[in-house]
Amino acid sequence: MTSIPIILAEGISKRFGENQVLTRVSLPVMERDVVCIVGPSGSGKTTLLRCLALLETPSEGRVVMEGTAISTPEQPKPVKAAARAVRSDIGMVFQHFNLWPHMSVLENLIEAPLRVKKMPRAEAVAIAEKLLVKVDLFDKRDAYPARLSGGQQQRVAIARALAMSPKVLLFDEATSALDPELRREVLLVMRQLATEGMTMLVVTHEMGFARHVGTRTVFMDRGEIVEEAPGAAFFDAPKTERARRFLQQFEE
Amino acid sequence: MFKYQFRWDTVLGSNFDFMMSGLQMTLMISASTLVLAMIAGLIIALLDMSRFPPARWIGVAFGEIIRNTPILVQLLWVYYVLPIVFSIRIESLTALIIGLSLYQGAFISEVYRSGIQGVPKGHKEAAQVLGLTPIQSFVRIVMPQAIRMTLPPLASNFVQLIKFSSLGAVISVSEITRRGMELSASNFRPLETFTFIAVVYFLICWPLAMAIRWWERRLQAR
Repeated sequence: MTSIPIILAEGISKRFGENQVLTRVSLPVMERDVVCIVGPSGSGKTTLLRCLALLETPSEGRVVMEGTAISTPEQPKPVKAAARAVRSDIGMVFQHFNLWPHMSVLENLIEAPLRVKKMPRAEAVAIAEKLLVKVDLFDKRDAYPARLSGGQQQRVAIARALAMSPKVLLFDEATSALDPELRREVLLVMRQLATEGMTMLVVTHEMGFARHVGTRTVFMDRGEIVEEAPGAAFFDAPKTERARRFLQQFEE
Repeated sequence: MFKYQFRWDTVLGSNFDFMMSGLQMTLMISASTLVLAMIAGLIIALLDMSRFPPARWIGVAFGEIIRNTPILVQLLWVYYVLPIVFSIRIESLTALIIGLSLYQGAFISEVYRSGIQGVPKGHKEAAQVLGLTPIQSFVRIVMPQAIRMTLPPLASNFVQLIKFSSLGAVISVSEITRRGMELSASNFRPLETFTFIAVVYFLICWPLAMAIRWWERRLQAR
């Protein structure tokens, strides 16, 4: 294992107009890490994730992937080129799934491998089918997203991200839009990925997942990382008052 | 009640073919105008959404002028003014098709725009994260969804065009309304003639409008 982080947020700040959303946030994610980011809403978790997914440009700081800068405030040409080169190594799962409704489940999965990786169709289909078996949705291969439950849609979205064999997978509150009874099936898939050694950065409100599956928990509040601890340690012995107050909401 | 002797044979008899060739002309005008208006609409929409401010101003100004002046005035303008400005001769049929295409194009550009902007941002972000280029994302993700949303409004535009093409009568294009005006001038039977024309328009437009409504509902249900 190397000691270079797969992906690294380096002193990232983000402002939207007057609104300071992130303040010098640094976060390395090592291979096989499952980093869970928790914190109250509006704490900047999602914005941090979107910066790492290259959907937002940081106002300060940079995103570094395996030693190479892929996003900086000015986005000069070499950085843009580096970003293009690693684009599909960073997968993302969204809160609202964002499956493409005009394509069947299989078509959703093979679109990027076909167009971006220029993979032969037969190979892309074979990979997609294997992934559908993995998320237990092979029978929905030809269904359209609108026919699936939220939990099923999110599992397809995970499979779609995996089809590009990313080096790191970012989850943006992947279960928040789901009814409680549908969350479990998605969390099971995520847990399975973690056991298989997938590198993951998970923004979540699922404290159980952070505690039992995460290798590290990061607590964010008001655009800053307040506390960081290995898996369960954060929950058993939070060091800061802010973290304690946050965790109290989940006890009753 | 006044006593009136209906004489339907004056339209349905020997003059029926004369009227039907007018109807053919009406449908030809509507169909070719729809195609041209779809192209004009696309150009206006692209100008409207351009990153280049002068292009945007042109698109917006054009749309605003077209939408806020009467179609009849525009037709008269194309037919009588364009030839003076460019010292060319424009056939009345050409003038009608140009005028209607520009008019309808201004409305269709809005249809396109709402179709494109109606595609959720998240769908484009998903494409971006997976590495699709902006062009691939537009062609593969945005366009197919936008087109599906635009089809029923485009069909409604066709119905509108069938009705608007009757304005060609004013600049003597021999579509069905003009034919009716000519016929009633010779058979002195305006009641039968114009009633017949109204019925023909209704029999074409109403089923089309119904079919479009049904189609829209089906698309929404998906």
